[in-house]
Amino acid sequence: MNNIQRPYRLPNCTLILEGMGDGSDPQSPNPDLNIILNARCQFVGINQNLEGGRAFLEALAKAVSSYAQQCLSGIHHPTATKGESGEWAELTPVPDQALHRLTWHPPTDESQHPITVELTTVQLFDLVEAVDQFIADRHTLPDFSVTLQPLSRRYRQPDEPFVQRAVPATLGAISLAVLAAALYVMPIPDVRKPEPKPQSSPALVDPTQNNSAPANNPVPAKTP
Amino acid sequence: MSDSVAVVEAQALVLKTLPDFSLSSQRCATQLQQQVDLILLAIEALEVGAAEKMLESAATLGLQNLIPNSLILWRLRCTNPWRRSYNRTTLTLDQAKALVAIAHHQAKPLMVQIRQLLVAEQQMRAKQLPVSTNFALSSYLDQFRSHFSSRMNPRRAKVSVLLASETALDDFALGLLNQLLFCTGTIGMQRFWISLFDGEVA
Repeated sequence: MNNIQRPYRLPNCTLILEGMGDGSDPQSPNPDLNIILNARCQFVGINQNLEGGRAFLEALAKAVSSYAQQCLSGIHHPTATKGESGEWAELTPVPDQALHRLTWHPPTDESQHPITVELTTVQLFDLVEAVDQFIADRHTLPDFSVTLQPLSRRYRQPDEPFVQRAVPATLGAISLAVLAAALYVMPIPDVRKPEPKPQSSPALVDPTQNNSAPANNPVPAKTP
Repeated sequence: MSDSVAVVEAQALVLKTLPDFSLSSQRCATQLQQQVDLILLAIEALEVGAAEKMLESAATLGLQNLIPNSLILWRLRCTNPWRRSYNRTTLTLDQAKALVAIAHHQAKPLMVQIRQLLVAEQQMRAKQLPVSTNFALSSYLDQFRSHFSSRMNPRRAKVSVLLASETALDDFALGLLNQLLFCTGTIGMQRFWISLFDGEVA
């Protein structure tokens, strides 16, 4: 098994993958690169190189891919989760400078400090392109891919900022408090029980016993 | 007969490279229509005669069935709610994909120019100079402003805010240029298409 080196060269960024094939097709002019021994990322004008093994390459590819989507849609993508050894790559925008900060946190068992490089948009694009070309290359890590998926609604910033949405609720609470304070100062009215007024109750008349009363239906007088 | 079959197959090929998502939500549809039209507007500001080339691109991509003439193309672009001539219709999924494919096809040859403009922007910002003092940038920004002010409806709140401030419109145009750069990549079309649905799927 020979060592294979596969560089992805862009004007501002070079991603060099070194590794070995599994030896399944030794006669092929372009054998599959299945085992990554070293992955190195160099930028023009930046002395700091980023380097690591397969975990580095995977973390970098995922972080770069999701950050590129963030640049396109403007919606913040959640940061990638840490790998098995606590390694992760992260890309964040540098405010007010149109720069992008790439940070590689190496595995916790290696006593290395996180490495940070600041990239311009064009450098970032070259890195995205190098990663995309590597993923699209069927002869390099055929088992590795990054799936592009749109973000769920949960991550969307609300159309109105929180402060704006909180205004009606706050106004309601304040007006309730003011009203309660005003009512608190007002005196409590005396409770007076209603006094029963001495009043003669109307006489009840029993129409059945009252014979002296004129008949409702007078008997018509007999006519001669 | 065989030509038409080949065209239909090619059409299916371009549209099949982009995954299907639901365009059911009104908010998603209007945002998508607005974004696609603005990206095409940025391409027009970069290249003279880009609007005429879009029809040729549609033919090259095998999209004649969807976009047979410039009137249909114009009507598809007028689904952008910011436009003066907004026609209050919604793009179908295939029409949206077709516009995205045209944007990618037209943006790809402009990659070098976009890179040069963004490098110039970076240099101007590093020197803390206004971006419009760079010749190449000012030519793009002026062209964009001219297209934007002639076609967008100033009664729309966001359009009026952008038209009121030169810096705001310049920043907006440069933001579109940044997005356009990512559209030119190897899988730029897929990236752009999927980004249109960010924050819109369940």
